[in-house]
Amino acid sequence: MDAVQFLQNLLNGISIGSVYAIFALGYTLVFSILGIINFAHGAVFTLGAYLTYSMAVGQFGISGLLADTRLPFHLSFPLALLLGAVCSGFAGVLVERCAFRPLRSRGADPLLALVSSLGIALVAVNAIQYLVGSEIYSFPTDVYGELPPAVTFEIGSKTVVVRTVQVIIFSVSMALLGGLAWLINFTRTGKALRGVAENTATASLLGINVDRFILYTFFLSGFLGGMAGSLVGTSFGIAGPYFGVTYGLKGLAVMVLGGLGSIPGALVGGMMIGLAEAFVPTEYSAYKEAVAFAFLFLALMVRPQGLLGKTTIQKV
Amino acid sequence: MADFFQNYGFLIVTMAQQSLLAMSLYFPLMAGQLSLASPGFYALGGYIAAIIGTDDRFAPLRDALGNWVFPLEWLAAGLASALLALLVGIPALRLRGIYLALATIAFVEIFRVLCLNLTITGGAIGIFGVPQLFESRWGYICIFGPLLAVILLFTRRLERSRVGLAFKAIREDELASDAMGINTTRYKVLAFVIGGVLAGVVGGMSAPFLNTWNARQGTFDASIGYLAYVLIGGSRSLWGPLLGGMLLTALPEMLRPLKDFRLIINGMVLVIASIYLPRGIVGALGSLKQLCLGTKGDRS
Amino acid sequence: MKVFLEAEGLSRNFGGLMAVNDVSFSVAEGEIFGLIGPNGAGKTTLFNLMTGLTPVSRGSLRFRGHELTGLPPHRIAKKGVGRTFQNIRLFKGLSALDNLRVAQHIRTRSGLFSGVFATASAKLEEERGTAKAREILQLVGLADRAHEAAGNFSYGDQRRLELGRALAMEPALLLLDEPAAGMNVHEKHALTGFIREIRDKFNLTIMIIEHHVPLVMGLCDRIAVLNFGELLAIGPPAEVQQNPEVIDAYLGGE
Repeated sequence: MDAVQFLQNLLNGISIGSVYAIFALGYTLVFSILGIINFAHGAVFTLGAYLTYSMAVGQFGISGLLADTRLPFHLSFPLALLLGAVCSGFAGVLVERCAFRPLRSRGADPLLALVSSLGIALVAVNAIQYLVGSEIYSFPTDVYGELPPAVTFEIGSKTVVVRTVQVIIFSVSMALLGGLAWLINFTRTGKALRGVAENTATASLLGINVDRFILYTFFLSGFLGGMAGSLVGTSFGIAGPYFGVTYGLKGLAVMVLGGLGSIPGALVGGMMIGLAEAFVPTEYSAYKEAVAFAFLFLALMVRPQGLLGKTTIQKV
Repeated sequence: MADFFQNYGFLIVTMAQQSLLAMSLYFPLMAGQLSLASPGFYALGGYIAAIIGTDDRFAPLRDALGNWVFPLEWLAAGLASALLALLVGIPALRLRGIYLALATIAFVEIFRVLCLNLTITGGAIGIFGVPQLFESRWGYICIFGPLLAVILLFTRRLERSRVGLAFKAIREDELASDAMGINTTRYKVLAFVIGGVLAGVVGGMSAPFLNTWNARQGTFDASIGYLAYVLIGGSRSLWGPLLGGMLLTALPEMLRPLKDFRLIINGMVLVIASIYLPRGIVGALGSLKQLCLGTKGDRS
Repeated sequence: MKVFLEAEGLSRNFGGLMAVNDVSFSVAEGEIFGLIGPNGAGKTTLFNLMTGLTPVSRGSLRFRGHELTGLPPHRIAKKGVGRTFQNIRLFKGLSALDNLRVAQHIRTRSGLFSGVFATASAKLEEERGTAKAREILQLVGLADRAHEAAGNFSYGDQRRLELGRALAMEPALLLLDEPAAGMNVHEKHALTGFIREIRDKFNLTIMIIEHHVPLVMGLCDRIAVLNFGELLAIGPPAEVQQNPEVIDAYLGGE
């Protein structure tokens, strides 16, 4: 591999890694508060991608109930992205109300939350399929308006291509990460959230409305998920209603790799998997999908608590 | 009657098959281990049967054995699964709870991607024209049905035996079990291997039944599907995975008139069942029985 | 006489904290040996070191001629060390009888297939195990509740059941971690008698952690006092009671 190829892979890896990180953070937020995995996160990711697409393009495809439907408006890409993520945030809230809160209030086995969130995911994904069919949605190249689709620059005689979408993915993801870090570390809401994550019972004794903070968490989680879905969709196209499933699993791998419930961990995990995938040689590219899971399996064997997770000592 | 099997034979076999796969999750769960590895072993078993059934190198063996090659396929599927389960289980079972679940999901995904790319597994297309053991669905009912009965009997006996008791003790309190002299690692691996072998054998029997085998047979969705069978049926009794597997397999079929909506309804059923049947169908039936007996007792 | 149990320089640190520091003692067969000390003195950690639940940092522990350090808990249990836990760790979802049958695990051998196919030897074993479990349930006074789930028992009954479970392991050395916690004076007195009774009946050697000083003084042949992980004094109760350092450790801080 020459220097140019290396640089190209590095750029690709960092860009996709950053979006893995914000997607995985959606899992992380919910896990750190409730200690469970939200299997509907992949469905929210899918939903976000379709929402952003429809609002940015203003038109649906040729199959499903919404075939050939035109929206009376279409928005600029940044606005569509933001609105898509906000709607996904509300979808996250809906997931909490339907699949998690009823179980929590009944004190059910936490394992059941895996099944109920999977149920919600099934409902969402099949509803999307019913509405838009299973065709591939590709964002048009002029979706960013004036911006060129890619910039190229030369190193010696070789060309390095930086797609505009990669720059957008990276900057949006980093901005979100920064915003989230600020929110959690420097605001009252963030302090309360950390309190709830630390100990739900104590937090509620201190007068924190735990249920409301859980809703906030699901909103944030859904927002991040929807944003990640939109960004990945813009970059690679939306490969049908099931496209969130693969990413959903990969996001899980990222979260565990970094450490369940650790925010810097999600960034490290995302970058590791993004880069590892980018550096898979082309002749083995068919195995790319397994890279995240190979990392996950090995990491669990070496450090069961994740790379940046805390060890807990079991008291006898 | 012949009509009935013509129309519903496939469904009946699938119901038995899915219940068996739910049972394969139940064994590790008996020892308190949440393993979602079954689809991996199921896929492995199916590939082994498909390869023995179609690959030219096994042609002499097929000619020599005739239909006896099928039991041999199942045996090979079981043995290979046991081996792989040992290989995966020994490192993975040091993990607890959700970490183990995630490691087993990783195993299933890695195995799936491997099968998608290897030549021996037919790559993305898979293996076609796996020879059928029977011409009619009825034949398959005659092998899946008894297997299910044998496994239920096996499980019932196991639960009352020394090994079963050790499993349950580990589920209740692993550390205390260790202090009682139970080699917890060994028993956890044993429970995992039993589940793996069962899933592998079911895979080996399913490849001839389905006539074809590919990487879509062992996916993450299936993992969670089997877990849903066990939890919605009831995870504390062997009747749970049986009932859960049967009902949830039959459900989409019963919903067929609803066409496009049936998978949406299926998802809703999962949500509603987890909310209103927290101890599964079997658990709910148990409470109901207690309630009825309780009120009768008061009257007398 | 051959040394039954001998600890030499047993140590364990958690990070920088020495939870157990260079503790040496020996216990003779048939002895009832008390372990006292303020909260956090390292008593339970010492039991955990002895049963393998916490790995030993340094030192050795010889039991009937075998080195125990480095062995996993189940191997130590198999060598004849049974225990109870400070915060009761019963198998709550299993019946009282099954809790005791689990403890018979090391005394039985049947495997997966002999158990499932109920071979003659497995059947015989199971009958014996059940009989033993019932005998011990009778002994701890819970015979009439054999089929109730252990989790439904009251605190005191759970303590008795846990003691029964340890006995069902048929150990040579029994470690009791605060068996009298939560009991009233009468029950504590009865427990003293009971512990002597089982020592004689099953030829046990017993180590007991207990806060209630009168109980320990009346029951134990010898006592060791731990403070901040270190052994402060060891000897017969009357002697230890007079030890100025012990008096200081117990009363100095208050």
